[in-house]
Amino acid sequence: MMDQRPAPGSRRALADDTCCQEPAARVPLSLALLLVALMALPASARAQGITFSITEASISFADADPDTTPSLTASSNVTLNYRVTGNGGGNWQITVISGTDLTSGTATIPISNVTWTAAPVPPFQAGTMSTSVPQTVASGSGNANSTTGTMVFRLINSWSYNVGNYNATFTFTMTAP
Amino acid sequence: MPRIRASLVLLAILAAAPLLTGASRTDTLTVSATVSARAKLQLSSLSMSFADADPDTTPSVPASGGPLTIQAKGRTTIGSTVTLVMLATGDLQSGLDVIPADRLSWTATGAGFVGGTVSTAMAQAVGSWANSGSWTGTQSYQFANAWNYSTGTYTTTLTYTLTAP
Repeated sequence: MMDQRPAPGSRRALADDTCCQEPAARVPLSLALLLVALMALPASARAQGITFSITEASISFADADPDTTPSLTASSNVTLNYRVTGNGGGNWQITVISGTDLTSGTATIPISNVTWTAAPVPPFQAGTMSTSVPQTVASGSGNANSTTGTMVFRLINSWSYNVGNYNATFTFTMTAP
Repeated sequence: MPRIRASLVLLAILAAAPLLTGASRTDTLTVSATVSARAKLQLSSLSMSFADADPDTTPSVPASGGPLTIQAKGRTTIGSTVTLVMLATGDLQSGLDVIPADRLSWTATGAGFVGGTVSTAMAQAVGSWANSGSWTGTQSYQFANAWNYSTGTYTTTLTYTLTAP
């Protein structure tokens, strides 16, 4: 019986040797195929994208007589600009939380005294500020193309507030899980 | 070859990442509020009177309108005190006849409110409160009756001053 094994130095032997001695050459190939497959997916399916911004950098509440103005309206409305792509049927959400109560030195005004209304409803909703739990501003599912929402913030006015210039920072977060 | 392989691995990870994880974006908004000093005082009545009575049977005549309700509201800096004082502009007068203003006195109800005697020389404390707030109390005035008063209709003015520093 003839020996089927190729003679050392033949082409087949060379190919097999290449295979077995340099296995790394096949790994990049498979990775490349994966990459090509991923890149070949439609953009909407491949990349879940969120664009989110707030037009205004700051808002303020002016001083007023609590008897005649029991609810203070912020100096300007807040415009939220958002866009969701590649989200399929997934949910998205915009939340807001305050880092602190309104603070002026050692004086504070509870942040829960700040409320908002928003439009359009839905996906936006009214709410009350919190320093501990992110509050939902808007929520929906699927994609959203270049959409805006408007929030109007209000502060309950009270004689119990001590004199001062109070500040707080609100952090808005848009997520598409 | 290892360098190419590493690059491809990185690209694959980057390409697959959006499929594997969610996305989030944040933005911030600075919020400010201005609270200025202010004070507001409201009296339930701008006048009161004391009816004539027999000094023997009614040595102390209460104000006919009943207690005076006072609502004091003040905004001050934290740790400061809001004060309410009252001063008579003059004694009770009827023509040339005079009854000393200190024949008027009051008792008080309500947190921070205190009783006292009317004076023309020094503003008398009616109430005081720490920090900002709104407070409601009453003053019940009495007029010390006496036989030596000349007949007449006597008047004076009491000036209340609320201060929120």
